Amino acid sequence: MFEKTDEQLIAKALHGNKQAWLNLLKRYEKQIYHYGMRMTGKNEDALDLMQEVFISVFRNLSTYRNEGSFKSWMFRIAHFRCIEFYRRKKPMQGLDDTPEVECDAMSAADRIHTHQENKQLISAMQQLPLAQKAVVELKFFGQFTFDEIAEQTGISANTAKSRLYGALEKLKTLMEVDYA
Amino acid sequence: MPKHKSQLGGSGLGNYRLDKSELNNEQLFGLWVEGQLNEQQRHEFEQRCLEDQAFAKKVETFNLFSMHSEHYQSHEVPSWDRDSTFNMPDNVKWWQWQGLPTLSFATSILAIVMVLTGLQVRTHEGAMTISFAGKQSQQEIDQLVNDRLSEFQEVQQLALANYTQTMQQQQMDTSTQLTQYLLGASRKERREDFAELIKYVNEQRGDDQLFYVRQLNKLQQDIYAQPELTGSGNINE
Repeated sequence: MFEKTDEQLIAKALHGNKQAWLNLLKRYEKQIYHYGMRMTGKNEDALDLMQEVFISVFRNLSTYRNEGSFKSWMFRIAHFRCIEFYRRKKPMQGLDDTPEVECDAMSAADRIHTHQENKQLISAMQQLPLAQKAVVELKFFGQFTFDEIAEQTGISANTAKSRLYGALEKLKTLMEVDYA
Repeated sequence: MPKHKSQLGGSGLGNYRLDKSELNNEQLFGLWVEGQLNEQQRHEFEQRCLEDQAFAKKVETFNLFSMHSEHYQSHEVPSWDRDSTFNMPDNVKWWQWQGLPTLSFATSILAIVMVLTGLQVRTHEGAMTISFAGKQSQQEIDQLVNDRLSEFQEVQQLALANYTQTMQQQQMDTSTQLTQYLLGASRKERREDFAELIKYVNEQRGDDQLFYVRQLNKLQQDIYAQPELTGSGNINE
């Protein structure tokens, strides 16, 4: 009821109010962390990516113009940080390339932080190319429209639809295997 | 992605033939995902689900994945260093202000311009005047010259008056001294002249007395030399 809006917290954070920034961060860290988990498949990478995203968000906080939701703006940053993260981790792999399947690559720490029901879903997503995975992530978990996904990822809405359609083709096979 | 060829026919769906041919599977699927299907598109969507197994499988996969995503267990975020994201720079001191070099440069340029253009700022009777290259109005120059001349004139008149007074005093003193000198010199000369005259007179008198002494001595000798003459002789001889 008395919770401050994102804009109020942003304004305070810009004036150096650390507590306001931490409140804003706690409001979205869960979403960003699980975004990282689904995009990277690893707890450690998800934490690294989350830190990079929030550092980048804070650094660019003054450029946020209240045009569109803060969440949408933050996920646009998260998408670009995620691409950078991937290029750093796998410099030879293109965004549209299908990643190499890492059989049971989940570490013990990842198992602890990954719920059993989530494991299959995360595992299936890891086998999608990054470009398709980003659209699937934003569509299913971010609940964004294709226009919003297009704006966040810098592609057209039709391309976003096409990528989701293509991703479902692969997911169909993966889900059949997993749930067979 | 192969485009879906419409297999629909019959009188009931004949009106949708044109629309069907314009939407491929991806577009129709996209509209369904966004919940933007109109009535005729919904009919076409259902028809494709029935006739196109691949399309129907994608719809099924979407629903399945959507269901899984809804049941995704969002557990709490592990502990991490949140403070590291707050990278607010410390309040900079005023001497560390980034605009200071720019301000310094700007003021330097301004100073150079002021020197080169001979900028002058004057306030006179509540009015401020800014002039360049030292140019002043003729009226101001005349006024300034007149003021200077008046001041010079006053100074000169005062100096002349002082000089005149000094000269008069000096001349008066000189005249007094000359008069006193002349008076003193005259007295001295007269005294000397009188002294010489008295001396001369005394010398003359001395000579006269000496002459009379000699005459008297000669007379005495003559008397004593001719005793006859003293008793019976002729005195007149």
